[in-house]
Amino acid sequence: MNKPLKHVVAVLLGCFTILFVQLNRIQFYDADALIDNAANTRTIQRKFDVPRGLIVTADGVVAAESLDTPGGVFSRQRNYPQGNLYAHTVGYLSFNFGADGVERTYNDALIGATPGQELSGLTDLLDGEGNPIGNVVLNLDHELQQAAKAQLGERPGSVVALDPVTGAVKAMWSYPSFDPNRLAVNDGSVANEAWTELVEADGNPLRPRAYREIDFPGSTFKVITASAALERGIATMTQPEFEPAAEYVAPLTERPLTNFGGGTCGGNLTELLVVSCNTGFGKLAAELIGPGALSSEAEDFGFNQVPPLDLPDPAASRFPTDYGSLVAGPSEEIPAGVYEDTPLLAQAGIGQYDVQATPLQMALVAAAVSNGGRVPTAHVVDRIEDSVTLEVIDDVGPGAWRQAVDQDTAGQVAQAMVQVVERGSGRAAAVPGVVVGAKTGTAQLGTDPPRSHAWLIAFAGRPDGPPELAVAVLVEGQEGLDQTGGGAAAPIARALFERYFQ
Amino acid sequence: MRARSVELVLLILATFVTVVGFVTIGLVQAEAGDVNFDLRDDVTGFLLVVVGLLLGAHIMIRLFAPLADAMLFPCAALLNGLGYVMISRLDQGLADSQSAWTFMGVAAFCLVLLVLRDPRRLEPYRYTLAVVGVGLLLLPLVPGLGATINGARIWLRVGPFSIQPGEFAKVVLAAFLAGYLVDKRELLTLTGRRIGPLHVPHARHFGPLLLAWGVALMVMTAERDLGSSLLFFTLFVVMFYVATARAAYVFSGLVLFMAGAVLSWRMFSHVQRRVDIWLDPFADAKGSGFQIAEAAFALADGGLTGTGLGQGTPKKIPYAATDMIFAAFGEELGLLGASALLMTFMFFVAAGFRVATNARSPFEKLLAAGFTALIGFQAFIIIAGILRVLPLTGVTLPFVSYGGSSLISNYIILAVLMRISHNSTEQRAEELDEIERSGHSLNVSARARSDWKAVAR
Repeated sequence: MNKPLKHVVAVLLGCFTILFVQLNRIQFYDADALIDNAANTRTIQRKFDVPRGLIVTADGVVAAESLDTPGGVFSRQRNYPQGNLYAHTVGYLSFNFGADGVERTYNDALIGATPGQELSGLTDLLDGEGNPIGNVVLNLDHELQQAAKAQLGERPGSVVALDPVTGAVKAMWSYPSFDPNRLAVNDGSVANEAWTELVEADGNPLRPRAYREIDFPGSTFKVITASAALERGIATMTQPEFEPAAEYVAPLTERPLTNFGGGTCGGNLTELLVVSCNTGFGKLAAELIGPGALSSEAEDFGFNQVPPLDLPDPAASRFPTDYGSLVAGPSEEIPAGVYEDTPLLAQAGIGQYDVQATPLQMALVAAAVSNGGRVPTAHVVDRIEDSVTLEVIDDVGPGAWRQAVDQDTAGQVAQAMVQVVERGSGRAAAVPGVVVGAKTGTAQLGTDPPRSHAWLIAFAGRPDGPPELAVAVLVEGQEGLDQTGGGAAAPIARALFERYFQ
Repeated sequence: MRARSVELVLLILATFVTVVGFVTIGLVQAEAGDVNFDLRDDVTGFLLVVVGLLLGAHIMIRLFAPLADAMLFPCAALLNGLGYVMISRLDQGLADSQSAWTFMGVAAFCLVLLVLRDPRRLEPYRYTLAVVGVGLLLLPLVPGLGATINGARIWLRVGPFSIQPGEFAKVVLAAFLAGYLVDKRELLTLTGRRIGPLHVPHARHFGPLLLAWGVALMVMTAERDLGSSLLFFTLFVVMFYVATARAAYVFSGLVLFMAGAVLSWRMFSHVQRRVDIWLDPFADAKGSGFQIAEAAFALADGGLTGTGLGQGTPKKIPYAATDMIFAAFGEELGLLGASALLMTFMFFVAAGFRVATNARSPFEKLLAAGFTALIGFQAFIIIAGILRVLPLTGVTLPFVSYGGSSLISNYIILAVLMRISHNSTEQRAEELDEIERSGHSLNVSARARSDWKAVAR
């Protein structure tokens, strides 16, 4: 029986040889492909489970850090000591739900994977230090951010404050917000539960309203309409004078445009801005400026484009550009230069119809007006530092996005906005010893009971100095007619200015 | 007694490897803050237990099977030790039970050495063995006794323990086959008719065998234990071939197997699913192919040298401590460590078949061959399943996987192999002595002498 035994031995050893060959295939030849396989959660997990730098505010407050989690699925977990305060800027890092905010846009810097960091890691290879992971230093000011949160309270809305010259975002707060720690927990089922709850919650707390949600800007848009008229020589701050009127009926319609609270107003462009005169601006937009000029002015300020911002997926603000074709004229009823949708243009000129803007965009409008017409590039991050040596690895720095209007026009509009605060609808934004210019907006939503978005865009600086802060405040959908931009939004801006200039 | 010295050295090596693995995992887990690990106390305790167990068994071997093969026990000890280390890294609760099972396994090993002085005494009880074997297989199907775990009804619930009687049934049925085939092998080879190239034995002789085999296979299929069915089938073919030396049996066995495979593929959806997963586990890597895909990802992570013990994530592999433990080794010890594990099995199998080759009686020869084939093919079937060489069918990796029934039955196999090995060496020594004493030394060629010397060492 020994001969067949030998055959069995040979077969079995052959079987083991096959195993050895296949083992080599899987562990050696195919290993890279298996590691890159889309279903390989180990790879995803490994990428997730790497050391990660801090995110700190401009004044050194830690907004995001990594805590060691011994014995967990991952060796560390992201912690957000400020709770919901920076949820819409710093964002979150979650294994189940990915990342948002700075955690997403600056992921490479945080884990040391930018080309610069990798190069530096390569040269440091000899001393065995590896890639330097980066700490992200924000432009956001902790005190200003806290003030924005406290001022808005539990009203849905947004507050954006930025440096009009550099575009550095000093505060960006939206309510409702959420606690990113709930999504960052390593326990997937706990994170899942929190996610479901947040997705279903009223007001979508996960959404950063300040830069991803667009709303009717209302009368704050009149700053752009005024700029369009001034820039093209259609009007000056003193000419023409508009007849005082309680309503304006645009050509081709019978529906009148009325003033806020049913008032009567008129006068030159300065007066129209100071009292936020709908009838005057409606006529200016519809009959004097025209669709082409108003559209191109809105786009010069950044409408219909995604603004540059170092946060994920900012929304483009919207200004409708199609008003149909030119209607034959002039005749007795129809003046020259009227388009099929001219009545809508009258509404667009006062920030209604289908005009919609993010609070960030409106803050950029205020910034441009105060800064000689230059729209800055908004950025929440100031610089990346080496987490060990604290040397600056990367400086985000100031940036200009576009020139909206020339310096002259900007100066004139800014002057008028200062008067809005001195004697007009924006008096509640005034701060003693500080030059403040503002424009209010109250976008009625046509609901019953009446609800409206209360807006304020403003800038402020020391006398004879450059503008230092541009602000947009939006208090959304407040009930009651007293919830105007001047009443609900202006005090929030004033509180920020007071905090900033104290 | 030179064999025992070799065995002792190998055992010291196996102990060293096991303890180093234990220390590595303890230190890694302590560093991660998972456990308190006291280098002196914990290691001393573990070392004492390992040395105590192995030394105890070694002394038993010196007393009751001093002339047995030197490779078998150290290979088993190494596999068992490494398995325990990996199980403790995966699940401390399982490791605690596994240490209890190891004690029982070694105890069973000693007991068999002590009691079964002459395995040939089993030979007359072949039909009893058949009944016992099939009975053990049937036990889990008895309502109230059996339990279904992970889709297979192969468990017995006895108090807090779950026992797989099938693991013991394999041993008993292998013994039956050995006894039966030795009894009938001449009838099976010499009587009957030729049909073409095939030799068909008389149904009278062939019948009981086919019946036992059929019942076993049917029972296993009913219990949805595909791995054991495959293993038992392989065992049947191997023992038949060794007993009769007729390749035609292997050939017809293969044909039978193919037919059975195609038939069960057609009849059972769970068989079809296994085959689909085997052909492309990544088609549904998060669903049905999860187990194999995770094993492949673990092996890929391990690469050439592995992540290091305690430093991979083998807990992600389903059933990592039982069926899939080879993938956990591949991840943490790499291609090198996994190959070492394969080599250990090859050493064991080679030693086992050497025992069979040298066995003094046909029964012992067939029994040793069957037992060795059981261990060897069981290791092959599960590793091949993990590596996608065969469809994955759940069986344990002998001596390595978590599982009491498997461990104890493997130690019983080991003890019988050692006993057969000792007996054959002893008999040849006696024969040689007798020849030399009777002065007929001229009849003994120089070749036989040197053969004997090699064996005795």
